[in-house]
Amino acid sequence: MAFYFTYMLVAALLFGFIALFTLFAVYAERKLAGFVQDRLGPMETGKYGSLQTFADILKLIQKEFITPSAADGVLFAMAPIIIFLAVFIGFAVIPWAPGLAPANLNLGIFYVIAVISVDAIGLLMAGWGSNNKFSLLGAMRAVAQIVSYEIPAGIALIAAIMITQTLNMQEITLNQGIETENTLLFMGLWDVSGIGGLLAWNVFQAPHLLLAYVIFFIASLAECNRAPFDIPEAESELVGGFHTEYGGLRFAFIFLAEYTMMFLVAIIGVVVFLGGWNTPLPNIGALKFADWTTGLVWGIWWTLSKTLLVVGIQMWIRWTLPRLRADQLMSLCWKVLTPLAFLCMAISGIWRVMVMA
Amino acid sequence: METLLFYLFSVVAVGSAILLVSMKNIVRALFLFFVVLFSVAGLYVFALADFVAITQILVYVGGVLVLMLFAFMLSNKELLNQLQNGTSHFFALPVWQALFIAVSFLAVLVYTMVQATAYEPEWITASRDAGAIIRPTDNTVQHLGVHLMTHYLLPFEVVSVLLMMALIGAAHLTRKEDRI
Repeated sequence: MAFYFTYMLVAALLFGFIALFTLFAVYAERKLAGFVQDRLGPMETGKYGSLQTFADILKLIQKEFITPSAADGVLFAMAPIIIFLAVFIGFAVIPWAPGLAPANLNLGIFYVIAVISVDAIGLLMAGWGSNNKFSLLGAMRAVAQIVSYEIPAGIALIAAIMITQTLNMQEITLNQGIETENTLLFMGLWDVSGIGGLLAWNVFQAPHLLLAYVIFFIASLAECNRAPFDIPEAESELVGGFHTEYGGLRFAFIFLAEYTMMFLVAIIGVVVFLGGWNTPLPNIGALKFADWTTGLVWGIWWTLSKTLLVVGIQMWIRWTLPRLRADQLMSLCWKVLTPLAFLCMAISGIWRVMVMA
Repeated sequence: METLLFYLFSVVAVGSAILLVSMKNIVRALFLFFVVLFSVAGLYVFALADFVAITQILVYVGGVLVLMLFAFMLSNKELLNQLQNGTSHFFALPVWQALFIAVSFLAVLVYTMVQATAYEPEWITASRDAGAIIRPTDNTVQHLGVHLMTHYLLPFEVVSVLLMMALIGAAHLTRKEDRI
């Protein structure tokens, strides 16, 4: 039984971490938005507005549950839970450090792709349950976008997995650093198994994986419904999108799910393409930087810092680029990203046979 | 604990399936279908078919169910009212053919189960004696991949051609016909 207790503890810890991350990410995002738009951002609550998000969450927790009278009560209440859980259970297989992952699944990455797609059901539930034109339209747009962008994202991941030859996220990470038992080649030419660091990451193991990562990154932005792909929440046309009718704690959960999703897609990209818990510092002759900076605590540090950097880039893009129109969005997905992703996958097959054989 | 979880999944699957067919609100029925699919995926895990379980979620929940919901939400309201005002009794039989199919399918399943427990196929006995069984920690994807590319290559290719045909057909249906 102690076993199940550990599982629950791990889940609780992860939830605590995500909640904390969201609080800080919201603050960081508002400050960043302020910086990009040449203003100060929150300044009143606490020193430099640092207590702003705590005040916000306190307000959200205190609010009463309001269900519109025309809404479908059950679906309306269930939707935020499903939206959050679909993203949250994805964290079950994410490796944090050498030997440290909640569940070391053989099908790790496949599992994550599958559970993320459940998110769409929750969005439709929210949109339909609210019984509101704007919510329904927002949900439709969101789901159409998520379902479309899952294809380039999934195929870009497959391109990397064909090189690593495993679906286990811990093994994918292991094969990008000095602790691997395989030979790692930098751009297919130079043996870097003993050198490790930045040079052994998947993005540098084959040149087309760099393209695959860019495809994955763009598609993952669309999957979290973030700008420049935020037409589901386009406030100028749709009030607030699928969460128009939500307030209080339910809205807090939808918001939490959005930030969790950002973190999840960022960490998937980091694990599959950017070396996961491996250090970016290579061994240079007698200076064994890679050996010195690999370990449990270092692993957590590298995973977190890389992921937060990617999340930072997501925020930067959100406040820099304008929103895409619906048809531009779809043609970008189907006419540009999907063929390129297929090309990457084909190159991966050839690469595996010709270069790595 | 495992047995408890197994029965929990089974009860949820069967219970929500029964609720689903007796429900008049189509949207709620579709969302209940989601619960059914999820608990069936849970049951697959107990059969050590983890790949099938995840594929079930990816294909049915992420693909088929979303498409069904889309089709529902984009369809005509009048049509839906007609659908929802069907028969009101649980035991009414407007389509006796369905009952016939369901009963005969159940009969086939029960017959197979009785046969398989009474006369175990030889290959199962042989491989159990040889210790060739799947363990929870085994990497099933590798077996699947190798077998799909060797033993079952022809069925695999036939299925892929069929899917390709369906794709081309779907793409053709959505085309605008300028001149007929």
